[in-house]
Amino acid sequence: MTMADNYNKVLIIGGGPTTLGSENELDAAAFEKVIAFKKMGTKVLYLDNNPFSVVADEIQAANVFFQTINLENIINIITKEHPDAILFSVAGLLGQKLALQLYQSGILESEHVAIIGNSLTTFQTVADSDRLRQLLTDWNEPVIASRTVASDDDAVEFVREIGFPVIVKPLSTDHDTSRIICFNMDDLEAALQYSFDQTYIKRCSIEQSIVGFKEIEMVGIRDVDGNKILVTGLENMDPIGIHSGDSIIFAPTQTLINEEYQRLRTATFKIMDALNITGSCHIQFAQSRTDSDYFVTKISPYFTRNTALATKATAYPIAYVSTFLEVGHPLAEVRLPSKYSHIKPLLEPTLDHILVKIPLWPFEDIPDADQHLDTVMKSVGSTIGIGRTVEEAIIKAMHSSQFSPRDILPSVQNIDDDDVINQLIHPLASRILILIEALRRGFSIDDLAELTKIDQFYFYKLKQLIFAQTFVQTNPLTAESIKMGHQYGFGDGMLAELWNTSIQTVEKLNQDNNVQVTYKEVESSAGEFIENTNIFYSSYELENESQPFETDSALVIGRGGNQLGPNAAADYYTSQVLIQLHKSGYKTIVLNNNPNAVSMSPQLSDKQYIEPIQLGNILNIIRLERPKVIVLPGNRHYLAKNLKQRDELNIIVLPPDQKDAQLIRPEITNAVDYFIDGNVILPITTISYSVTSYKRNQRYNTNYQQPMNQFTQYGQKLIAEGRKQLTGGHWQGLVQVLFEETTPGNFKFAGIRPIRITETAFLTKATGINWVRVLVKKNLGNLDLVRLAELLSHTEPKRFAIMNGIFPFEALHARNHQGSSKQEVGASLQFKNIDQQKKE
Amino acid sequence: MPTTRYLILEDGTSYTGQAFGSLATTTGEIITNSTMNGYQEIITNQVHHNQIIVFTQPSIGNTGLDQNAYESILPSAKGVVVREYENLATDHLKRISLDRYLKQHGIPGIYGIDTRQLRHHLQNQGTMKASIVDVDDEHAFDQLSATVLTNQQVAQVATPKPYPNPGEGDNVIVVDFGLKHGILRELSKRKCNVTVVPWDTSSEQIMDFDPDGVVLSTGPGSPNSLPESVLHMIKAIESQVPLMAIGLGHQLFGLANGARILPLDVEHHGSNHPIKEIITNEIFYADQEQGYEIDKKSINHKQLLITYLDVMNGTIQGLRHRDFPAFSVEFLPDGAPGPKDRVDLFDDFIEMMAVRRRNDNG
Amino acid sequence: MGKVVLDQMAMQRALTRITYEIIEKNKGVDDLVLIGIKTRGVYLAQRIASRLQQLENVSVPVGELDITNYRDDVEHDKPTETEVTITNSNPNISVKDKRVVIVDDVLYTGRTVRAALSAIMDLGRPKMINLAVLVDRGHRELPIRADFVGKNIPSSQKEKISVLVSEIDGKDAVEINK
Repeated sequence: MTMADNYNKVLIIGGGPTTLGSENELDAAAFEKVIAFKKMGTKVLYLDNNPFSVVADEIQAANVFFQTINLENIINIITKEHPDAILFSVAGLLGQKLALQLYQSGILESEHVAIIGNSLTTFQTVADSDRLRQLLTDWNEPVIASRTVASDDDAVEFVREIGFPVIVKPLSTDHDTSRIICFNMDDLEAALQYSFDQTYIKRCSIEQSIVGFKEIEMVGIRDVDGNKILVTGLENMDPIGIHSGDSIIFAPTQTLINEEYQRLRTATFKIMDALNITGSCHIQFAQSRTDSDYFVTKISPYFTRNTALATKATAYPIAYVSTFLEVGHPLAEVRLPSKYSHIKPLLEPTLDHILVKIPLWPFEDIPDADQHLDTVMKSVGSTIGIGRTVEEAIIKAMHSSQFSPRDILPSVQNIDDDDVINQLIHPLASRILILIEALRRGFSIDDLAELTKIDQFYFYKLKQLIFAQTFVQTNPLTAESIKMGHQYGFGDGMLAELWNTSIQTVEKLNQDNNVQVTYKEVESSAGEFIENTNIFYSSYELENESQPFETDSALVIGRGGNQLGPNAAADYYTSQVLIQLHKSGYKTIVLNNNPNAVSMSPQLSDKQYIEPIQLGNILNIIRLERPKVIVLPGNRHYLAKNLKQRDELNIIVLPPDQKDAQLIRPEITNAVDYFIDGNVILPITTISYSVTSYKRNQRYNTNYQQPMNQFTQYGQKLIAEGRKQLTGGHWQGLVQVLFEETTPGNFKFAGIRPIRITETAFLTKATGINWVRVLVKKNLGNLDLVRLAELLSHTEPKRFAIMNGIFPFEALHARNHQGSSKQEVGASLQFKNIDQQKKE
Repeated sequence: MPTTRYLILEDGTSYTGQAFGSLATTTGEIITNSTMNGYQEIITNQVHHNQIIVFTQPSIGNTGLDQNAYESILPSAKGVVVREYENLATDHLKRISLDRYLKQHGIPGIYGIDTRQLRHHLQNQGTMKASIVDVDDEHAFDQLSATVLTNQQVAQVATPKPYPNPGEGDNVIVVDFGLKHGILRELSKRKCNVTVVPWDTSSEQIMDFDPDGVVLSTGPGSPNSLPESVLHMIKAIESQVPLMAIGLGHQLFGLANGARILPLDVEHHGSNHPIKEIITNEIFYADQEQGYEIDKKSINHKQLLITYLDVMNGTIQGLRHRDFPAFSVEFLPDGAPGPKDRVDLFDDFIEMMAVRRRNDNG
Repeated sequence: MGKVVLDQMAMQRALTRITYEIIEKNKGVDDLVLIGIKTRGVYLAQRIASRLQQLENVSVPVGELDITNYRDDVEHDKPTETEVTITNSNPNISVKDKRVVIVDDVLYTGRTVRAALSAIMDLGRPKMINLAVLVDRGHRELPIRADFVGKNIPSSQKEKISVLVSEIDGKDAVEINK
């Protein structure tokens, strides 16, 4: 048995700004890892430039480096701070590249610093597709056959070997080229002619086509002694050809027979052994629909989006456990955090629930993007639904996604049958709706499965849902309909919408029929052991497992699936609210359904509900938990309005609604931020918005700097002016007074608004005062204003904090927009010395 | 509309659900199985003879039945209890749907049950009798408590006559105590020339086949219900040819070598428990279908080595004879269903036969 | 990298089986001494010893034998008694009246084993000597036969069979290179 390395000081490389393909899951994983390192007595340094990182707030400010994640900055930190080791496993794909570069730089030897987890060989093998292919072939694992050819003869000979269909792709050194699928000799001849014409270097690649195969993913962990568990399998409903990030995903797998499943499990273990993985590994496979063939398509020996999904499906704390494995502890000796009372990390997860993930796409905010689903990921977020039946899980996930909550299975009437067929073959983001529509129009399941390459099983399930909805609609307000609806995952809010009645009427009907929601725990032993993960989802069955807390509790209603706009920030905000409520003595309960949210880290709350964030579901939870306080972070007018109608509830909406903003001038260049409690107005700082002229319009204020340019010259004047504007007003909490610098040095009052969520996060990082927690304390009535004023008096600006919005236009092949705050996908944060800025 | 039926338990509990499969009224021992794949392999495993199987896997039947995955020809389970059931036969192996299969074999199914609650209940109350019935009245409960389940389980499911499963390789005798086909499949993959013989075949009759090795199969019920003669057979065989014993066969191997057998409070059927191989400290997973355990205190360490342990409940998962090439495992290494992490135990067995041949020749 | 014929798992299992066979053949572990032939045979002997430790809670001595000087197919002067060394962390290791198991990675012509036998006999007279090899690849040139074989791998003389051990090669495997 190998001895674990005991590190005194570890540098964790963060996930960087949120963007398409990576939300807050890396920050959530890093959060668990920091807890694990604390348990080992290891000091943590942290490098990240994501202003919405919760981890960064959990580590002493002096040990957090807000810098761009690149080799140069990592080397700088190594030479200045001398960490014993560096962790890259929560830094995504970029982290893998950087780890390799760092190995090659030679600095690891000269500075005596180690990379935690996988070895140089593992990094090299995974990074080099030829080498990886060779390794897999040596280990008898099937990979897609592919060859570079220089002539028709070469091509034909190779195709004779591997058989049709194949994909032909002209090789080009300077641009992306198209891929042509060929089913027969005629296709191949045409494709070769076209491709050789296209390529300047006269080379084409030919590979075996697996388009239409099932995409199955496996997430496992392995320790240094070679002990492994398979955390879970994931099944993409959509076939290979649609990026897994854009696919609807089920956990556990639904349509594999035992033999197929076990083959992939064995392959996963073999690959993890071959690569000598420590920690988690996520492997993707293509599974044939017509025979038992499979291919390994992707190996990710680091924390990925779907590793996060596996954690949500099983409640197995992958990131936490892997940390111990990465530093060399054997799996058998890892102790789980106290809440997993009776569970050993060696117990292989077995589930008695089903999880469904549905992606969310940003096309409403960026309408000119290419909306076709293909091999390039376009979704910006996702929601999950958990249920005891497949239908229940689908409905919950769908109901949590962007489709109208008023319509459970919306009709798509404005397109003809040809369009339906076209969209079945070339799916758009509205895929699930088209599938349902096609079923409604009477397409046969055989035909649909053939057109879409989606397993028939899913069509049967969707058909059941259509049947259930019709039944519920045609039998309004009956006990049978309630039962049917609940069984298929229709919440009370949905039933109310379907019957065009109030939710109170449905609640009454439930009471009359003695129908009560039950909550089941998400845990990994299928009821064999008592786990106390305190993560719940609803069903309508016999046994309710969720008991209300005996002491005061607070319910925080999470933001749900990520979309463009201030979503990553809202998740950060939600997390901070949870932390403060807990510190203020409340048992915290969070409701959310975003698998990538930090606020869903089990350690951040006392209890979680993974449920649709809809009025009916919220009311059910409130009825059970009777929380003392309900906090609603973010602008959610409908929910706020409906919850506030119920006088018995103590609702706190944070931050106050942006609708209250008073804007006089549309163009904004500067602001002064204040904290107001009662009559006390405390100035915090000045802000400059981006100098780019088009960014002056308040809709485009996504780049900001604290303090403002020339703050020594104009700062005090603006602060005084702002205070004048606020005096005698009704404003409370975090407020900013806006200005437009019309000519140099000439500032005109432009309006007042509550400080937005993104800017609150920025302000927290910039000033070192956690403003979300301050706001929560103010609302709970336990804020020490004197101490806050004292803190503020010491915040003499020594550096500029600069935040820049990040937009997904390029990733989505959309034209470049100005980038409004609604189109923001994330932001980056950096600090500059004030002197340095002056020189520039 | 589906028919409403009831699952009633010996302790007086009644569950309401909907019928699928056969509409027969049956009584059996109720157990839960938490393996996530392979409902077909589970239902057809004779280890579930006279048992009503509660699946914790919430949805079964999503794939049709596969001709290559039956574990017996005539399944003898007494019922299937599940949260949700699918009557599909849609995958590429599509042949027969679950509903049709259960009807063919007179096995009732009941769905719409809060199987998670039921599992919690059984974990607390232990293994007990249950029935799937049309009416959950007093009469049904009386019937249930009056029913005495047979202890002649092996005799009911094992083959009455020898039959061959020809191959070109080692000559292997499989003693059938309620054999699962996975064992034959693994032996066939390794080209064995197999003869399956009835459970009560004597050692002389077995040795008359001139075997290279002998396998003691899986099977239902308690090893204590089998006559002494079986233990004599094992004692005689183990000293002559390589021996591999699985499941019930493992318990009999222990019994034959002086160990005691104890019933588990709650039967364990699943493949989630880590199993430790003592000699290497390695952890692996395999399907376990376990109602009894070998009492650790009763092991004669001069004769037997304990080779595998269940990390969760500490039960013995494997033994090996000190003096002979004979070993046994409680878990099912054939991976039908469940992980195939230890399917190479069959390779070890083949290798043991090769070693014996080598030694005999040399 | 060559074709993997035994992966990590298979190699572990072969050593495990050999360990059980050693117990079986020796009726226990009393008087047992393992002598590993350098380099990889030593690691394999240590693995067998650690298995015996796990199983029987007995520490079986492991000796190391460098037989370069004994190979009859290598040109050298006949070694003197003092050049023959069985090194061990336990200085009191002795083969006299012991049940010795020689452990090597690959059994090929048999010349290495013959040399090992001579070296051991030079040290004292064991009660019995057995031979355990991970791989028997055939092509024997001497009448030597292993008592415990992990895997018989028929091979042509052109092929090279390499046993890799994680202690020095970073991984456990047996590979064939053409």
